Amino acid sequence: MKFYKDHYDVIVIGGALSGLSSALMLAKEGLDVLVLERHNLPGGIATSFVRGGIEIEAALHEMMSIGPEGNRLKVGKFLEDMGVNIDWLKVPEAYHASLPGLEVTLHPGLETFAREVDAEVPGTYDKVLRLLNLCHTVFDSVNELSIHPMSKVKMLLKHEAFVKTAGYSTQEVIDTFDLPKKAQDLLAPYWIYVGSGFKDLPFTIFAVLMADYIGYGSYIPHRFSHEMSLKMAERAEAMGVQIEYRQHVDKILVRDGKVYGVRTARGDEIHSDYVISAAYPNKVYTSMIEPLSEVPKAALKMVNGRRLSLTAFSVIMILDKTAEELGIKDYSIFRGDTMDTDALYNDLKGLGPYRYLTCICHNLGNPDATPEGTCSFSITTLPRVDGWKTVKAEDYDRVKHEVAEQMIDEMSKYLNVDLKAHILEIVIETPMTVARYTGMWNGCIYGYAHTMQDHIVARLQTAEAEKFIRGLEFAGAHQISGDGMGPAVTNGRKAAKNVLDDYRSKEAQAK
Amino acid sequence: MKVKGFLKDVGGASRVTKARLEAFEKASDQPVVSDSIGDVAREWHPGALDLVVTQIVPASKTAVTVRFRREDGKKLPLFYAGQFLALEFDVNGKTVSRPYSISSAPFEARGEEPFVEITVRRSKGDGFIADFVNTQLKVGDKIRGTMGCGQFYYEPLRDAKHVMALAGGTGITPFASMAKEIAHGTLDMDLTILFGSVSSDDIILKDELDKIHCDKVHIVHVLSGDEPDWTGERGFLSAELIRKYTKGDTSYFICGPQAMYTYLRTELEKLDIPKRRVRFEVFGSAKDITVFPGYPAEVRDKTFTLTVVRGIHEDEIPAKATESLVTALERAGIRIETSCRSGECGLCRTKVLSGDVFVSPEGDGRRAADKEFGYVHACSAYPVSDVKIKIPIL
Repeated sequence: MKFYKDHYDVIVIGGALSGLSSALMLAKEGLDVLVLERHNLPGGIATSFVRGGIEIEAALHEMMSIGPEGNRLKVGKFLEDMGVNIDWLKVPEAYHASLPGLEVTLHPGLETFAREVDAEVPGTYDKVLRLLNLCHTVFDSVNELSIHPMSKVKMLLKHEAFVKTAGYSTQEVIDTFDLPKKAQDLLAPYWIYVGSGFKDLPFTIFAVLMADYIGYGSYIPHRFSHEMSLKMAERAEAMGVQIEYRQHVDKILVRDGKVYGVRTARGDEIHSDYVISAAYPNKVYTSMIEPLSEVPKAALKMVNGRRLSLTAFSVIMILDKTAEELGIKDYSIFRGDTMDTDALYNDLKGLGPYRYLTCICHNLGNPDATPEGTCSFSITTLPRVDGWKTVKAEDYDRVKHEVAEQMIDEMSKYLNVDLKAHILEIVIETPMTVARYTGMWNGCIYGYAHTMQDHIVARLQTAEAEKFIRGLEFAGAHQISGDGMGPAVTNGRKAAKNVLDDYRSKEAQAK
Repeated sequence: MKVKGFLKDVGGASRVTKARLEAFEKASDQPVVSDSIGDVAREWHPGALDLVVTQIVPASKTAVTVRFRREDGKKLPLFYAGQFLALEFDVNGKTVSRPYSISSAPFEARGEEPFVEITVRRSKGDGFIADFVNTQLKVGDKIRGTMGCGQFYYEPLRDAKHVMALAGGTGITPFASMAKEIAHGTLDMDLTILFGSVSSDDIILKDELDKIHCDKVHIVHVLSGDEPDWTGERGFLSAELIRKYTKGDTSYFICGPQAMYTYLRTELEKLDIPKRRVRFEVFGSAKDITVFPGYPAEVRDKTFTLTVVRGIHEDEIPAKATESLVTALERAGIRIETSCRSGECGLCRTKVLSGDVFVSPEGDGRRAADKEFGYVHACSAYPVSDVKIKIPIL
């Protein structure tokens, strides 16, 4: 029996947002694409599951880079251009910040946000707006430069703010605005979406984060992130992409420094001149390349020289009362006993108690999220992999329950509701859960940490030199744009573009 | 604009690039293969294991307990008492899978001589695998199985500390596992089991249950048959009986035959128990799909053509209207992964490319977007026309 063609133009390992974005773009350009996904549905952690008859979002808090209808941002626009039409719901607020001395709900829109901060910390409007406008200027530059590279001199003339802030951490740039601590605290809650303390987080990343989320607001798909993943997969198939589920790719086959195919755990050897891998470079360069002698030392130095970023720990509950009955007022609550992001980042190394929690009440962004009379409430922390790497299989269940209980107790205290007395269904997602379903290296969902030593600007500069094996591209959180479901799409497009450029130049040579 | 000074500001990009390359230069060039978080995930959920039958003993006059070990002799995966084992039987050259609640305790899977057990009753004519286990399976047979499946277990953050098990027949198995784990001191909960059997000489796992002496486990046998000498509880697991043994805040866990579920739903309603305190185990595929409302009775005797797409390969096989897509595939010798076989878990998620199917309304565990795009869980979908499906290549 023959299940695969003799040859594909491109093989994509991993049918999550990144791999599917690659597949969509390549298929649109007429290439013959095979996607191999280890799970039995698309999306990776951008998915949902059903418990006790209730569908539950697995991971998505809010999507960036979507933008309103008629004025879509890059991810929203890409999906529309690909014919993937998602029923987006706008998240009503930016976040409710519950921080020492602060209980404030802030809304998107740069001026709105600055006004709301000013209402809490009077006299800060101009400074906050100036900072947000700087973020927006940098954001515009990043978007333009990612499509139209230019010379350094020209860049300095046309993208001055981007160039001049590129070498600084978030804290260094914020410090120049001389903002009171409380105002700084109100600007910081989204830090967890990029996962580094402000002393080490490139300002460029902070700028993009703030301009995108605060400037344009965020969105969620009506039928959970599975709607997005499935619609991308269905569209890709309609465009001729072959997607095969339950296919675990064991090996990437390399000869003379060049990819020629993959081998699955089932034993199928499938040929292609291009492979796009969503599997981490750590895994690819240490166990997937066959033979391993084809892996240059520089590739190992690169993966060893980078720091794995965050994984995820979520307690997702379906409660037997409505949000209103329980007194939950905000779609997202970001709660911390400090807003010192560097201290919080350091704490994420451990196994709790975690001091910074992000909570989502889905129903307040999507009234159809759960059956009538119930609501969904999730509490999430995004630990570093370090602590969880020390947990042994025999202790796993105990540790998991201890951490979950701490988080539930903390939010019960805050909401003044005994959450445990209302649980219809509970699911505790851990780094091990991520590893189990997606195979992601050490359950890491954020790729490599955005730091001053692994700066996005540097990543862009050295990208060409880091193509260690011809025909092999990577797509996923471990690539240039880093973590998040929006950046996953961008990373997937970038991988596809690299393949296309090479493919077209070979076609041209052949002629 | 200025951050710190013109030269320092414009040199930023070069500075960070240099920092990155320096970090790589300093890094080791040796492969670091440690994926310890992935290793823990694999220890709990290694996928299908090669098992060997090591012992078959009677569990009553109509049931047997089958013990398995791993073929490689290693410890079995960790699991929660109450979960099931999905076994892949090779019968007459065809692979047929079935889920069985694990009747042994989790600690027994991790001991010096690790094992896992299931307890299976000989059927009354409709369960050919149950009969196969009771009459043909023998010590030394090899079989593939996946452990740690299902959601039917005690969750301390959700459930009351006191759990009342309402068990009928082989529905005792998940509770036998819990009871042994509690008695062993590795599961912290109070368990009262109301165990319904027909006659005192055919109580499944009676000897094992009698051996449990633990003040946290209380077993009450309830006989529905007419036995003049019986001094214990009689009748069905009625609201009255449930009330009698309820101690304060209690979660009710139910496992047994379909008829018992129907009866208990009515009885539990009388007790005004909050929804979050009641949990039913799934009970396998519908015995007769034609009785469900909405089933098109006119097709019940028909056999349709099922076109099965795997990759670029296609097969055509017959599919009876009264049998699930999974059954049709298994009859034709085409492998499909299944676990709960009740429509809930979604392991057999399948795309219907064309044609119509009837989806069992009992335990329809599909995602909303999946329904919109024609996905079904093949174990609970029945063809009502010629159908074309796509399934994973196994």
